[in-house]
Order: sequence, then structure tokens, then C-alpha cells
Amino acid sequence: MGCCGFCSPRYKRLVNNVYPSNPIDGIVKSNLEKLKFYAKSSPEKLDRIGEYFAQRIARDLYRNRFEYVFMGMEAMEQILLTSKTQSLNLFVESFLRVIHQLLESQEPSIQLLATRAFVKFSNIEEDVPSYHRKYDFFVSKFSALCHNNASDLNTRKMLRLAGLNGLKGVIRKTVSDDLQVDIWDETHMDKIVPSLLYNLQDKEVIPGFSVPDSANASTPYDTAEECLRELMSKVTFGNIRSVLKPVLKHLDNHHLWDAQYPDEFAISVFQTIMDSIQNQHSYAVIQILMAHLDEKSKSQRKSFDSSSEATTRVRTGIATVLSSIIAVAAAESIGPSVLEIINSLLRHLRNSINNFQMVSINKEDEKQFQETVINALGEFANNLPDFQKIEIMIFIISKVPPSSSDSKADIRLQDILLKSLLKVSTKYRTVNISHAFPPAFLNPLLALSLAADSNVRITVQLIFQQLLDRHGNLSKLLMPVTLTEIPPLNIEKAYRQDIMFMRKHGPELLSHIYKNLQFANNTPENYNALYTTLALFCIEMSSEETLTEMLRLIFIIQDMTKNSSLTLSQSQHAEIHRLVAAFLHLIAQLTAIPALCAHVDQIIKTRNSKAAWMLPEYDSEMMETKMSEVSEDLLFNKEIISEALRNSGHDTSRLSTPLRDSGSVVDSSKAISTTDLKYVDIDVESTHSSPGIIRKQQEIERINFQDLRNFLNTALTDEQDAREERRAQILLKFKRADFADLVAKSNKNNGVLQTKLNDLFEKLPQMESPNGEVFANAIKNPIFSIQFNQCNNGYQREANDEALSEEEKRSAVAHKSPFNSPLYSLQFPDVFA
Amino acid sequence: MEDYAYLFKIVFIGNAGVGKTCLVRRLTQRTFSSGQAATIGVDFMIKTLFVNGLKVKLQIWDTAGQERFRSITQSYYRSAHCLILVYDISSQPSFDSLPHWCRDIDLYTGTGISSGSNRNVFKVLVGNKCDKEREVPEYIAANFADNHNFDLFMETSALESENVERLFHEIAENLVLRSESEKSNTVTRAQNYDVNVKATDKNRIIKQCANCQSL
Repeated sequence: MGCCGFCSPRYKRLVNNVYPSNPIDGIVKSNLEKLKFYAKSSPEKLDRIGEYFAQRIARDLYRNRFEYVFMGMEAMEQILLTSKTQSLNLFVESFLRVIHQLLESQEPSIQLLATRAFVKFSNIEEDVPSYHRKYDFFVSKFSALCHNNASDLNTRKMLRLAGLNGLKGVIRKTVSDDLQVDIWDETHMDKIVPSLLYNLQDKEVIPGFSVPDSANASTPYDTAEECLRELMSKVTFGNIRSVLKPVLKHLDNHHLWDAQYPDEFAISVFQTIMDSIQNQHSYAVIQILMAHLDEKSKSQRKSFDSSSEATTRVRTGIATVLSSIIAVAAAESIGPSVLEIINSLLRHLRNSINNFQMVSINKEDEKQFQETVINALGEFANNLPDFQKIEIMIFIISKVPPSSSDSKADIRLQDILLKSLLKVSTKYRTVNISHAFPPAFLNPLLALSLAADSNVRITVQLIFQQLLDRHGNLSKLLMPVTLTEIPPLNIEKAYRQDIMFMRKHGPELLSHIYKNLQFANNTPENYNALYTTLALFCIEMSSEETLTEMLRLIFIIQDMTKNSSLTLSQSQHAEIHRLVAAFLHLIAQLTAIPALCAHVDQIIKTRNSKAAWMLPEYDSEMMETKMSEVSEDLLFNKEIISEALRNSGHDTSRLSTPLRDSGSVVDSSKAISTTDLKYVDIDVESTHSSPGIIRKQQEIERINFQDLRNFLNTALTDEQDAREERRAQILLKFKRADFADLVAKSNKNNGVLQTKLNDLFEKLPQMESPNGEVFANAIKNPIFSIQFNQCNNGYQREANDEALSEEEKRSAVAHKSPFNSPLYSLQFPDVFA
Repeated sequence: MEDYAYLFKIVFIGNAGVGKTCLVRRLTQRTFSSGQAATIGVDFMIKTLFVNGLKVKLQIWDTAGQERFRSITQSYYRSAHCLILVYDISSQPSFDSLPHWCRDIDLYTGTGISSGSNRNVFKVLVGNKCDKEREVPEYIAANFADNHNFDLFMETSALESENVERLFHEIAENLVLRSESEKSNTVTRAQNYDVNVKATDKNRIIKQCANCQSL
């Protein structure tokens, strides 16, 4: 431009003066100060200054005079930083235009300069919104820089860092301001997110790259992670999808779901996301990921081509990611969303089972996928509160196909679902047995415990064990049927609620165990599992009642072997005998009743010498053929054991009641029904002894209000009169009759009863200590007699009934003395006689 | 300093290894490197041309052909004025995947639903490496270009610099023509502020010159 220096306006002269005549001299500091002062004092000129600078820098750039470009940028930055006024807005326009032009240059140093300037600009907080500013180009260009692949590693790294920093600047500049360009827009996020991820993933591309100045040794990897965190922490609910979609796409495209390198990338990325995202949004991430999984399995079902194997692995990868991050979201999710997650996980399991039927699918991969989904379920359940775990267990069991179905897929689904149930149940900490087994859960579970498939049965037993075990004894008992000493168990007396539960559901549970033993396809593992369940039962419900119940069951089981109609193989007979022996051994250990121990030991010894196959830990290959004949002395004797229990103060009445006379399958069902009948009264009893609220309700139902009112209004007056009269008569009688008559009268009434009672007390076993005996003779009898006297006498009761009325009370007190003597006479008949 | 009359964004797409980067290098740097490494993500170049005495700046986004970068490269389609779809005439597979690319273009340029094929993204089909032995006959490619609403079809060679300059000149001319007609349309039909920004730019350039001379 051919303008002479003198004619140009002041701002132009000042700007020109900043540049030295010789580029080597560097920027003219004093003149820059003058320019800054000018800009500050007359801010209205800022836009002109900016425009002129832009013009000059563009010219220098075109002429490849890079030194001048650098100087011009420095001056612009200085002005930008010093002048914090409203009119900065116009200056910024030219500033950004300059940066734009610099970024178009192919020279790396110029690009670096531009990003540095941009980062500086992004750190300035503007108070005036600028609606028309566009960052499209910056986002595009910075994203491109992030992918720089310059042959020189140092340049590559610097340029990538520049790109990342630029993106960070853009994010910082725009995210916080709602009026700014919508950075969350798809077009921008599709560029920003993959760029960040690419640098996260690409940390090995610059291998062993050592920075000479390690003080600020930030690698693209670190910067990218930092940037991702910043982005995620600022995301709002509405924008989560637009941010996560590119992530999912990137992971899909680069096949990173199942990649172990670098460092299980997908997992680490999602963990970073979950760490930095606001808590309340973490659930949305899970949802989106879940949807992606749905999509994947849908597309897999549509196309059964060669790639389906790969997609199975991808699905496994997604499920792995889910299981590793789902814990974070569990704390935040509540109510229906929980079930939604569980439901879709279960749906994936079911689909996977269906896939399993296809021949083309790689079974190993599919199996792994199932395992992973189950894991995810477990992880999720683990972080839910306990009451929700129960809900989830009920939910899962409601999805299990009924035990009656025998299609292969259904059995497999049963197996898988029960496995997931087991996973959840291991995370549940049982406090109260009845809470752990609500009827909605217990009944289907019991039904499943009789499934045809032996593996399913084992899983059900495992679930029982997990939920029963409250004192950490499971690991000690989780062993094959054995006679070896069991490590000291952690035993606590059962709570009242537990006993209530046992009364209610115990027979059911035990009869299911009994039925379980009868299956013809039982394997040794089945017996082991049943043994462990029984043992846990015994320990968790340690009460006398349970003990007798268990013993009863054991004897029924033993009797079962005698029954020939059962289709049990020889080895299964043996297994049952072993189980009985081991369990009785355990009980003997637990109860430590000497007689019981002795009997058990003796039988075991006999078996050891005569029929070792009836004992656990016996090598089954050496089994003899003659094992079918079992003499009585090899069996545990019910009489002896019940005697032993009785002697140690247990109630053995139950033990002796025959539960079933024969153990055949047909009869057993009948037997169960009779036991059920037998327990009807117990059920009633239990409701009566349950907390008072229920009982009250029942009574209220019977008496309606009208009845009550009638009763209060009418009956009371009549009855009161009648009673009053009778009382007066009695009083009169006692007042008038003489003492001898009274004594005779009372003796006549009570003589028979008295003697009967005395006889009875005499017969009582002499359990008490010697002075207790004296006590019984001297005091007990008279007390009883008094009570009976009072009952027969009738007066005292009347007095008590009417005690509320003030007047009668007084009268009772007034006439107390006359009866004192008769009472005494009754109490000590010997003295008075 | 905005010393250009028009700025156009051009995006190169096509299978990996068809020579997109080489075409761009040939144009902007007048070089050819036989061992060009695969592009990662997106690369960016600037080329300035003169069309009818007007300075036209071409912003060229050279995208990676590899499938794994699809997600980021597709995000660049949207803002483009011109898409150049490149195939290798010596490789039938690269030609066979063209329909796939066409679908992507429709999907990601945001044209598909709104106005069909007549939207103002300028689509060019380029058969590169015409110095090599031919596998795809020219007429088949020309037919394809017709059927898929391409605005321009050309065969080039980055190695021998054949048709490269011409390609970009034609694109620039067409784009200028197109935006000029558009501009006149908008100006005459509706006098709203949606007037092409470039018009004001041009005015500014003139004004600045006037300023200079007056001072």
C-alpha cells in the first residue's frame, strides 16, 4: 500500500512503529507500550487497530515473512490481554480472522502459533456475548490437527497437542455460554469426540517418545483425557446422546470393543466418562450403552453372515464395559429404571440362548457373552440396596421358564437365569430369613428345585445355600459329604422370626429336599449340594424344633432306601446312606448329646467294618454287589436317637409321629398332603402367636359396632343387677353362718379335688433337689389348693370382676376380715383341724 | 485480510489408496510422492485460483479412506460445497464400492430428504491413476456418473499431473457460476439479509482500495 507515513492516521503509525526495520531486532517494546496505552485510552479505535494488524499479518504471511507474523501476533495478544473493555468484541473479530488465516498455512510453526494464540483467547472471559461468531472452521481444523501424521515425531506430537489444546479452547469458550454456537451440535461432536478418542487410543503410536524438556511433558494422551473429562463434566442431560453417539461409533469403527490393546480401551474410556460425568446423568450413559447393545444383537440376528462371530465378540465387549461401569449408575437408579435394566439384560440372555441353537454361531463366544451379562447383572445388583435385590430376585425368577417344560432351549434358559439369580443372591446379605424368602420368591424357587435337569437342581440348591448362610459358614460346609471334623462353625441361636418362618415353610422345604433325593438322575454333586443345604438349614435355624424336624426327615430318607419301588440305582442308594451318615455325624457334633454321639459313632464303626460303602469318602469303584442287603444294625436307629434326645430334654413327640409309612413316590405325595393337613393347626397357631395386630383385626371383624353398643347399653344393667343380688346373698351367708359351717362347706366342695391334686403332686418325678422337695410339700400344694378354692368359691372372682366399681371395692375391704380365717384354715388344714 | 471473492470447501472421499492425498498434493504442492502414507482422520490444504479474474480460495479437506475413520470423515461432508468422490481406474473393487459412497453422501450431506439431488452440493466423480492399466472402462464410469447425478466426471493422474489443474478449475468455475446465479436469485427475489456474505466481502475489498487511493 503506497501510503506515506505522515498522512496515515495515528493508530496506523503506532502499529507500524511496533515493527522493527530489521526483523532480527525483534519487536520494539517501547513502541508496543505506546500502542497499548493508546488502545487503552481510546478503546473506540480498537477495531481499527485490529483490522490493520490483520491486514499486515496477512501480507506478511503471503510473503512468507514469518518473523513479522510472529511479532504481529505477539502485539495482538498483548493488546487483547491488556484491554478489557466492551469494545474488545470488534478487535476479537480481526484476531480470530488472523488465527483462521494462520491455521490455513501449511507451516507447522505458524499453526502452532495460531493455536497458542487461540488458547490464550479462549482463556479470556468475555462479558459481551457474540452471536455471530462461528467456530466451525476451528473445530474442523483442530480436529484435523489432532490426526496429524507428520513424519517427524516431534512435529507430529506438537501439532496433535496443538489440535487438542485448540479443541479444549473451543469447548471452554462455548460450553459455558448458552448463547454461543451450539457446540453440542452433532456436526461438532462428530469431529471433537473421535479426535479425542483417537489420541487416547493412539498413545502407542509415538512410542518411547521422550520429551527433552520433561517439565511440561504433557503427551497427547494426557491432554486428550483431560479434554474428555472437561467435556463430560459439562455435558447436560439433553446433550449426553450427542456426545456418546460418536464414542460408540468410534469404538465400532475401530473395532475397539473387544480389543485388549491398549489397556482394554473401551472400558477405560467409559470409566473415564463415568468418573467425570455428573452423577445424575450416569444412568443415561448406561441406557445408551444398553440401547447400543440391543442394536448390535438385532443387527446380528438379521444377518447371519461371517461377521456374526465378530459381533458376538463385540457384544461381549459391550457387556464387559457395562459390567464394569454399571456399578456407578446403580446408586443413582431407582424404581422402574432398575427393572428396566434387569429386564433388558435378561432379554439379551434369552436371545443369546436362541442364538445358541444356531449352528453357525461360535458357541464359545456366545457362552462368554452370557457369562459377561450375568456378571453385569451381579455387579448391578451388588450396588443396589438389599430390598431391591429381593425385588430383582423375584423379577428374575418370574422370567424363568416353568420347571415342567423340557425343550432344550428352555432348560438352558433355566440354567442361565438361575445362574444369574445365583449371582445376585451371592451379593445379598441375608439378615432375616423370612425377608430373604418372600412367598413370591420361595414358591417358584421350590418348584424349580424339582426341575428335571440335575444341573438346574444343583443351582437351585446353591441359591438356597447363598441365601441361608448368614454367618459365613458356607465355605466350611461347601464340601462333599464327609465324616471329617468340620471346622468350628459360627452358630447363633435362631431368632423368633426364623422359627416362625420354619414353622410356616419348613415342612415344604424339607419335603422338597426329600423329593429331590428321589430323582433318578441325581449325580453325586446333587447329593453334596443337598447335604450342604441341610447342614446350613440346621445351623441357621438352630432350634430344638428344627432339630427334631431334621432328624425326622433324615429317618424318612433312610427309610426311603428300604423301599424297593423307587428306581434308584445302587450307587444312589449308597449316596443316600452316606448323606444320612454324614448328616447325623454333623448333628451329633453340633448338639453334643453324648448318647446320640455314641450311637452315631457306633453305627459308623459297624458300617466301617461290615459295609464301608455306606460311608462317605468310600471309593465307589470298590463297591460290592451285595450292598442291596442292609441289615438293621447298619442303619441308624430311630428309637435310640429319640431316646437320647428325650433324655437331654428335647421334645421328641414329633420325631415319633410317623410322617410317611412308605417312601414310594406315589405314597409320598399322599404323605405330604397328610403332613400338610397336620400343619393346618400349626399354621393357625402361628397366626395366633404372631404380633397382636392381626388377631385384633380378626376379632373386630366378628363384632360389629351395633352389637357392641347394644351390649354396652342393655346387657350391663341387667347383669349388674343380678350380680349385685347374688353378691348380697353370699355376703349375708358369710355374715350369718358360723365358722364351723363355713369350713365344712368348703371342705365338702374341695375335698375330692384337694386329694386328687395332692396325689398328682406326689406322683411328679423327683426332679428337684432335696430342699426343693420340702418346698413342694410345704408350699406348693397349699398354693394350688388356694387357687382351686378360690375358683370354686366363686366369690373372689366376683369381687375381681366388680373391682372397678368404687363402692364394691369398699364393701370388699369392709368384709375382708371374715374370710381371712376360712382362707387360712384352707391353707393350713392341719392346724385348723 | 479477506482478499478473496469466494471460499469453497471441497471434501475428497473414496476408498483407501485410490490417490486422494496424491491428487491434493499434486495440486497444492506440485509434488508426487510414491510412498504416500495412509491419511489419518482428515488433512487440510488451501489452494487459491483465479476464475474470471476473481480470486477463489479452495479449502480442501482430504479425508482418510480407511473404514475406521468413517465416523470422523463423515462429519466433514455436511459443510462442504463440493464433494469429490475418487476411485482407482485400475481397481475394480474401488469402483464397485462407489454406490456405497453415494449412499453415504446422501446421508451425511443433509441433502437426502430436503431437496433430493438438486441441492447445491457439487458432486464430482474422479477416476484416478489413468496412467495405469485400465480395469474400469471410461464409458461405464461416465454412465454411473450420469445415473447418480454427478455434476462432473473426469479421469486424472496425479503421477503425470494429467487433468489435475483442469479438474480444480472446472470445479471452481462451476461453483462460482452456481453461487453467482444463486446470489442474483436471492437478491432479486427477496431483499432480506440472507444475501450471500461474499457479496459484502467484495464490496469491502473495493472500499478498502478506494480508501487507500483517497488517502
